[in-house]
Amino acid sequence: MKPNNDRPDLDYDVMIVGAGVAGMETAASLGDMGYRVLLVEKHSSIGGKSILLSKVFPTLDCASCIVTPKMAAAAHHPNITPMVFTEVDEIGRNDDGTFKVDLHRKASYVDFDACTGCGQCEVDCTVSVPDEYNYNLVGRRVAHIPFPQAVPKKALIQRRGQAPCTHTCPAGVKPSGFVSLVRAGKYAEAFHMHLADAPLVGSLSRACYAPCEGECSRSDTDGTVHIRAVKRYMVDRYYAEYPEPEYGPVETQRDSRVAIVGSGPGGLTAAFHLARQGHQVTIFEAEPYAGGMLRHGMPRYRMPKEVLDRDILNITALGVKIHTGEKVNSVAELKAMGFDATFVSVGNQVPRIIPLEGRDLPDFEMQDCMSFLRDTNVSDELPDIAGQHMVVLGGGNVALDVARTAIRMDAASVSILCLEPREKMPAHEWEVTEADEEGVQIFAGGSTKRIFTDDAGKPRIEFLKVANLEFTEDGKMKGFATEAGTEQSIPADLVVLAIGLGPSTKPFEDELTLAATGTIKVNAQTLQTSDPTVFAGGDAVLGPSIIVEAMGQGRRAAFYMDRLLRGEALDVPFGDELDVTDKQDVMDEIAEWDLRPQATLPVRPPRERIQSFECYEGVFSETEARTEANRCLNCAQCSQCQECVRVCPADCIDFSMKPEPMQLKVGTVVMSTGYEIMDPSNKELLGFGRLPDVISGPQMDRLLAPTRPFNAVLRPSDGKEPESIAIVLCNGSRDHTVCNPLCCRIGCMYSIKHAQLVMGALPLADVTIYTIDVRAFGKGYEEFYEQSKGMGVEYVKGKVSRIDPLENGNLSLHYEDMLGEGGLQTREHDMVVLTVGFLPNTEPFALYKGSELEADDFQYVREIDPVSEPARTNIEGLFAAGTVNGVRDIPDTVLHAGAAAAQAASYIQGLGGA
Amino acid sequence: MALKRRIGVFVCHCGGNISDHVDVEKVVAGVEGEPGVAVARTHMFTCSDSSQQEMIDQIVDEKLDGLVVASCSPKLHMFTFRGMSERAGLNPYQYVHVNLREQCSWAHTDDKGGATEKGIHLVRAGIAKCALTRPLHALRVETQPRALVVGAGIAGMRAALALADMGLAVFLVEREPEAGGWALQAGKMGPEAQHGPDVAARLGSRIAAHDNIMLYTGAELIEKSGSIGDFNVKVRVSDEDVVDLNVGAIVVATGFDTYQPREGEYGWGLDGVVDLKTFRQMMADGKLEHGGKALRDVVFLYCVGSRQSKSEACPAPNTYCSRYCCTAGTFAATTLHALEETLDQTVNQYHLYRDIRTYGHLEMVYEQARREGALFVRWDPENPPVVEQGDDRLCVKTVDTLAGSDTLEIGADLVVLVTGMRPRENDQLNSVLKIPESKDGFYNEIHIKLRPVETVIDGVFIAGASQGPKTLAESVASSLAAVAKAGGLLMKGYVDLEPLIAKIDTDKCTWCDACLKACPYGAIEKTVCGDKEVALVIASMCKGEGGCVPVCPHDAIDIEGFRDDQIRAMIDASLKEAVV
Repeated sequence: MKPNNDRPDLDYDVMIVGAGVAGMETAASLGDMGYRVLLVEKHSSIGGKSILLSKVFPTLDCASCIVTPKMAAAAHHPNITPMVFTEVDEIGRNDDGTFKVDLHRKASYVDFDACTGCGQCEVDCTVSVPDEYNYNLVGRRVAHIPFPQAVPKKALIQRRGQAPCTHTCPAGVKPSGFVSLVRAGKYAEAFHMHLADAPLVGSLSRACYAPCEGECSRSDTDGTVHIRAVKRYMVDRYYAEYPEPEYGPVETQRDSRVAIVGSGPGGLTAAFHLARQGHQVTIFEAEPYAGGMLRHGMPRYRMPKEVLDRDILNITALGVKIHTGEKVNSVAELKAMGFDATFVSVGNQVPRIIPLEGRDLPDFEMQDCMSFLRDTNVSDELPDIAGQHMVVLGGGNVALDVARTAIRMDAASVSILCLEPREKMPAHEWEVTEADEEGVQIFAGGSTKRIFTDDAGKPRIEFLKVANLEFTEDGKMKGFATEAGTEQSIPADLVVLAIGLGPSTKPFEDELTLAATGTIKVNAQTLQTSDPTVFAGGDAVLGPSIIVEAMGQGRRAAFYMDRLLRGEALDVPFGDELDVTDKQDVMDEIAEWDLRPQATLPVRPPRERIQSFECYEGVFSETEARTEANRCLNCAQCSQCQECVRVCPADCIDFSMKPEPMQLKVGTVVMSTGYEIMDPSNKELLGFGRLPDVISGPQMDRLLAPTRPFNAVLRPSDGKEPESIAIVLCNGSRDHTVCNPLCCRIGCMYSIKHAQLVMGALPLADVTIYTIDVRAFGKGYEEFYEQSKGMGVEYVKGKVSRIDPLENGNLSLHYEDMLGEGGLQTREHDMVVLTVGFLPNTEPFALYKGSELEADDFQYVREIDPVSEPARTNIEGLFAAGTVNGVRDIPDTVLHAGAAAAQAASYIQGLGGA
Repeated sequence: MALKRRIGVFVCHCGGNISDHVDVEKVVAGVEGEPGVAVARTHMFTCSDSSQQEMIDQIVDEKLDGLVVASCSPKLHMFTFRGMSERAGLNPYQYVHVNLREQCSWAHTDDKGGATEKGIHLVRAGIAKCALTRPLHALRVETQPRALVVGAGIAGMRAALALADMGLAVFLVEREPEAGGWALQAGKMGPEAQHGPDVAARLGSRIAAHDNIMLYTGAELIEKSGSIGDFNVKVRVSDEDVVDLNVGAIVVATGFDTYQPREGEYGWGLDGVVDLKTFRQMMADGKLEHGGKALRDVVFLYCVGSRQSKSEACPAPNTYCSRYCCTAGTFAATTLHALEETLDQTVNQYHLYRDIRTYGHLEMVYEQARREGALFVRWDPENPPVVEQGDDRLCVKTVDTLAGSDTLEIGADLVVLVTGMRPRENDQLNSVLKIPESKDGFYNEIHIKLRPVETVIDGVFIAGASQGPKTLAESVASSLAAVAKAGGLLMKGYVDLEPLIAKIDTDKCTWCDACLKACPYGAIEKTVCGDKEVALVIASMCKGEGGCVPVCPHDAIDIEGFRDDQIRAMIDASLKEAVV
């Protein structure tokens, strides 16, 4: 006599789905018989719901004492393979009676083999979520070990896609991460985490247009989290403490030499990431100062040059050399100098010039925007425009920068003249508003006709009203007409053209393939140009873009250049991102009281701010920064703050982990997927979820468990030890109002247990149990019930209909007193436990493909003949063990699981050889 | 011991079960200086997987050759830590368990100082014992691929089929002349509405067709010898014939008896007072009449023989709930209702209950009964119903506790006592198998949740209602659970037996046969050693029970694991002063 356990075509003789009491028991029985058992569990620990209990009736053994031996037996059995955090996708039956199974191991982002369960990640994780293992009585971290007795005791990181802010950032900055670090008061960590993605932290905190804020889940309700302001606080604080970077060049230096042409945000970012990989990086900058548009194009009142200088130190500290004033005229020249690869990020700084009638008139001057900005931003002395009337042509951000700079330079007047109507100006609306406040006159919807001299010999600009401005679908201007006879004019001593910039790619036109617009053509994935050793990015590729876009390209190019230099293939994806989190899911979770308006930064009044080039935007205080950071809703649960990665001693956290699909063939399948707990808030009048001191039975178990969250039985609202506890039975059971007429089968007993345990924990407390019937039917149960009466538990026969809060903080229960005086009565208690009903777990029905797995009238898996064939379903060879076909207590579940094991064994024996 | 031992001591908080009343850190401090102790520390849950792993690491890293775990009762976790020791490469018999919970913290919840001091004494004793342990090895016994099932009710029949389907040879023994048990007289059974005799017949024909099953009816188990995996049993199959069988495991599915009411108990003995079994038979016969009169009013009285309290009339009460009766009673209500419609006869039903315990899905039976018009009247055990002979028919007086304190008087043509379950009277079998009983008289399992179908007699399993009241479906589930355990034992092909058994010092032994007389397991034999007669311990039969040790006039017997030198060392160690 031997088990039929050596069919080579089967991966396992049995697959058991669900490793609660039933699954573990079935597994142990079949394992003992010699069958090869696969025990699949979707959570990261086996043990099911029972391991979370306090003690178990009627013996009052602690749940750990009962369940941990079963967990250990399942985990260490030579014939059982536990596979946790694994989801079954599909089960199908083969013609020979065996089963094919599709399943996948979910990404836990922790290498379970390496994790020691030390819990350090849990300590340092910056995001809290409700702890489902404590039935949401307290919070837990997103990086967590489910509970102390977990088997295997491994951490996992809970992720729900990628936060919208992080998902949207073109530079790959993770706002969700540094915001949660600021919330936790970990400022230096926040800085370093940001730095690892994008080095120009200070510049971004001042000048980024923050696309992340536009995507914030809160943006449509109470206002986006002011991410940039949080960053500003974080980086200002860090730079004040560390005027120099804390680090030097990386230890492992390579021989590969990289040239970067242009020191704008794209070039600097590429340099940073390449240098971090140990490559020798040199940046060539034609201008006398590094920084590109950040230095030359960005007005001082927004982008103080000392912040930029400090940002650049983040890059040069790695050993990156910046040669300023050295214009590169060809790639060949760089190759000749011995560079193995080149990144061209020359930007988009060639101003567009249009012919203008009258531009040669005396006393009239015309300038391009770049030279104006360069002069005002970099020169030691500002150009003198005092008393002049200045007109800026163009409606984009550069035009606004020019105008707002000029208004700080004592011009007699500064005007903006652009083709678009005001609401269609390409500049940000807030920018236009602020310019307006500062006194810039805006003539929107005007087309320049000519410059002429008025009677006093002063130059004026004449323009016409624009009609029929047409735009392409992507918002670019297509064409326009002017309305005749609408001429008007304003004084114009100086006109600055800010009507567009072109790419500075001219030197490379013979070596690299350019687009018609002059931008460099690249492979969109790798940013490789027509010359394989040359990559390009930033505005030279994109045309005018925002800082983070350029930085994102620098980072992307660095990734592929690093691979090229290492001799690795380039056909791999860049970045490893989950799908973006659905904002609606996030907002659905938050409560009304969670809505709090965005904090705004103080801004100096316009009259004051135009007196100088100082920043006019204020900063958060520490409290304000943390409070604002605390508005973050942790959309993706894990914020990707990287603290776990930083502190893990086993180096076992891996955010690139992917689900691992598997396909297996097994002899038979046992479903032991358990039951669900009903949410008692659907009994609205009982106040669960509304009245904090109305808790559920499972929560009471947690309050009493050895690993209890408060280490005492306390009522949640004020932490007071309750003196009079009501336990109300049958909430959502035997109840047609919630479509669940079934008896929950274990509520009476676990409530009697609660009563006894409460009396042990709080000897002075009174406990009253409100019942319909007391169903103490198992071995030793009636005696347990009698024992509770002997201890002084009061039983009231009557259904509780409503629970109201009282002014003294207690609760008033309305019930029908069926045995006493009769009639409707009220009684005061200071805490109420609702014994909740249970629901079927309907997952098995979705898993089985082929014919239909039959359900009973209540959506439990139907046993086709419970009298003589327990655990058998309508699918031959597919068995159902434990509560999956009706809620049972632990002893009954253990017996039923044993029956399932016997049934499965008979089936496997009947399968015969392969 | 010549070599210094390296013992690891691990003291468990048990989440607070121990540490709330025993200062476990002080216990560690109090024992870490004991001779041989290399490591001493505490754990929140020593039984948890992570703690076990840490202990394994300690055993390996510290090269421990002895282990003391001070936690709960060894009944719960002795095997856990033996398994852990084996995984760590430590001989499992060099681990000593100290019960710091049941024997210390739980017993002294009012005196933390005293409990801590006692804890130190207990752990020191454990260390002293551990220092004298030596590696022992289990006795491996081959198991015979045959099983005996005692009792051919539905549970026993189904168990026999399952064992046979697993490829084992099965002997199914039934005392009655026919297999089927109570189902033969059950009529339609709730809630599945299967007809009892049909179920029995269906299983009976499968058994008859199965090559692996031998059914003996009218037969009784009269003798058992041998031990787990290899029992020799004698079954009397007729007045003359006794067959000898050799089996590896025994499954006992002897079921229950119904409660027999005392004369006068709820009118028992009056004409028209019947039990549910009789009433079901009446319904199965399709007649709703008594004494020639059509039934108009029927009273069902629940909890007869269940949930009893001690009184003069009832000196040995059945305090337990019989579990199945509420469902059986309410199901009878629905059967009766259906029959009423068939017969076009109106019967008023009164169900006098204490609590209706139609748990889980069974609630739907109760709902149906109420929906169909059965009246449910709740009574209180302080003031139970009285059944009397009225003028022309029976009269039941009861206080409807849900409708004030007035006494209802119900005229009844029939009073159905819904009687509970009793453990089987079976002295013959009990004298052979010696399975211990629980307080309620049903067979006692080792642990209701951990080992619910196993008994302290290794290789003997209990199934169905022999363990406690159950519905039929529950009985069958439990019998298949017993099959799973028996199957595990027999399909593996061998069983490892405890080496903690008696050993004879043949130098000292003079064969006086005192040990032979003291051994309840027949594990002692006379043998010749050299030139003298001495006692021999049959290893597979010895349970390490120890009755032989004190009777030996020459101190020639020791029990492994509880040797005299170990016990003395434990006494000495625990007498040392402990300062808390």
